[in-house]
Amino acid sequence: MDTFVQSIVSGLLTGSLYAMIGVGLTVIFGVMRIINMAHGDMVMLGMYGAFLAPTFLRIDPFLSIVIWIPIAFLIGVFIYRFLLKNIVPAGELNTLLYTAGLSLFIANLVLLIGTGDYRTIKLKYAVMPLRPFGIAVPIPLAIAFGMAILITVALYWFLVRTDTGRAIRATSQEPEAAALMGVNVDRMAIITFALGTALACGAGVLLAPSLYLYPTVGEILVAKCFVIVVLGGLGSVPGAIAGGLLLGVVESLGAVYVSVPYKDGIGFVIFLLVLLFRPSGLFGVGKS
Amino acid sequence: MKRFVVALAILLLFAAPWIVSAPFFVHLMIMVLMWTVLGASWNILGGFTGQVSFGHATFLGAGAYTTMILFLKLGIAPWYGIPIGGLVAAFIALPIGFICFRLRGPYFALSTLAVAEIIRLVALNWESFTNGPVGLLITTLPDVTFWGRSIDWENKIPFYYIISVIVLAAILATHFMSRTRLGAYLLAIREDIDSAEAIGINTVQARVAALSLSAFFAGVAGGFYAMYLRYIDPDAVFSIALSVEMVFIAVVGGLTTVAGPLIGAIVLVTFGETFRQIFLVGHLIFYGLMMMIVIRYLPEGIWGRLRLWFITQH
Repeated sequence: MDTFVQSIVSGLLTGSLYAMIGVGLTVIFGVMRIINMAHGDMVMLGMYGAFLAPTFLRIDPFLSIVIWIPIAFLIGVFIYRFLLKNIVPAGELNTLLYTAGLSLFIANLVLLIGTGDYRTIKLKYAVMPLRPFGIAVPIPLAIAFGMAILITVALYWFLVRTDTGRAIRATSQEPEAAALMGVNVDRMAIITFALGTALACGAGVLLAPSLYLYPTVGEILVAKCFVIVVLGGLGSVPGAIAGGLLLGVVESLGAVYVSVPYKDGIGFVIFLLVLLFRPSGLFGVGKS
Repeated sequence: MKRFVVALAILLLFAAPWIVSAPFFVHLMIMVLMWTVLGASWNILGGFTGQVSFGHATFLGAGAYTTMILFLKLGIAPWYGIPIGGLVAAFIALPIGFICFRLRGPYFALSTLAVAEIIRLVALNWESFTNGPVGLLITTLPDVTFWGRSIDWENKIPFYYIISVIVLAAILATHFMSRTRLGAYLLAIREDIDSAEAIGINTVQARVAALSLSAFFAGVAGGFYAMYLRYIDPDAVFSIALSVEMVFIAVVGGLTTVAGPLIGAIVLVTFGETFRQIFLVGHLIFYGLMMMIVIRYLPEGIWGRLRLWFITQH
């Protein structure tokens, strides 16, 4: 029983970060129909950002998120405005291939500048896990969990309560109708892409102290990310949050009750089953 | 005119090792030709049928492991193992096709990615069969005599001729397939799958047939990869990056053209391998860059654009 509760808890902790990455991918898909293969590389850039923070900025990796999120937002604006904007009208498959190219470019650029070595971040305060109610909670993951919830709630508030957020949701539901109602669809696309990129990068910063980082880590992360958004229904923000938490828990339970080496595979099996039998996602809200 | 160019190209293909015989160039040509086969294989599905797969490494890996395991466990020489590897890959493609072809467009692409990752994990963890992450190694290839002379496997030139024959087979197969009834079905599916279905084409069957043919050549190339490099492990032959490279070669060269994969492989592999010689890592940066340029400015690919230009000129 203890192991069961323990694995649910660690699953939810990791899942909150998966959710954050997934929300980024899903809003981008919802508004622009871009399946962004380079999303995982944005996470990777965030991880390297956190890794470099103590040496170059002399601040804590977690604190560096306040610097990296705005920078990632600008990178997102740049990528969309100068690279992706002209590709989007050419259709979903072309953007898929284009972002796959972008992904390879970014990952290999990092590989060239740095090295392919596996790196870890050492935190002074990450000595012993906290033990509330006898459940081990690693400190870096607990901090990441808290910050991920804060950021996701803030984003949710932004999408639901603000005018820009409403305009983004309107564009996602029906771009032409939104344009007729006076929404600047182009501008919403830029803001959404930048937001998605910032979320991915932010999640990377939070994830960095708990994972190994290497330049091609984005490959596996983006694959997981697709699992998450398809689970929740492509284009749905609550769906991505639920999908992220679900994948976290499934992986963690799988590692305990099925086998550690196949833990990453369980997500993909569920992914295939959902694609085949419930293509609009577990909650039936996605767009296929 | 066209026949003359083709005959000249084939002559050049077989004479090349005499013209440039430096080991690096022979190695480069072998890699270019191997990637041509992989690009041509992907082109059958991605170009002629319009189904983008991000999981073709599965078939390459299946061919490579079949060839390796047949040789190491049963003593069957790789030159028999290579075609058997192709058949195994074609066979594996059947269930994958019947599952994944229920999906369309980007969803199909994502499902093939998932299948490939599952198979990579199986290869990584089924240690009694695949030897897991340690991989499989051939130390010496069996002796063989060809026209009374024993073949020297330490030399790269025999490998060059083997892959040349495979390339010709792949290109001819693509050429003839595009002229058969199946080829017409596939083009119809690519242009509009609903209309194809409406006029009575069994689209699932036709797409599975295309996937299986495509998988056969990917498997053959995989078998050759195992024999040429003499070492494979799951991350070398089942990785996502490998699937993506195949896509890039076919797209950069020109989809739905017979010669496109060759042009794509010449451009990308030559730069990639040269880059690797100098910087050791990160040779895929060029692949990414070329892909972005091609999708943006030459959506029909390098060879596709050249061919259009020829047609409008004459």
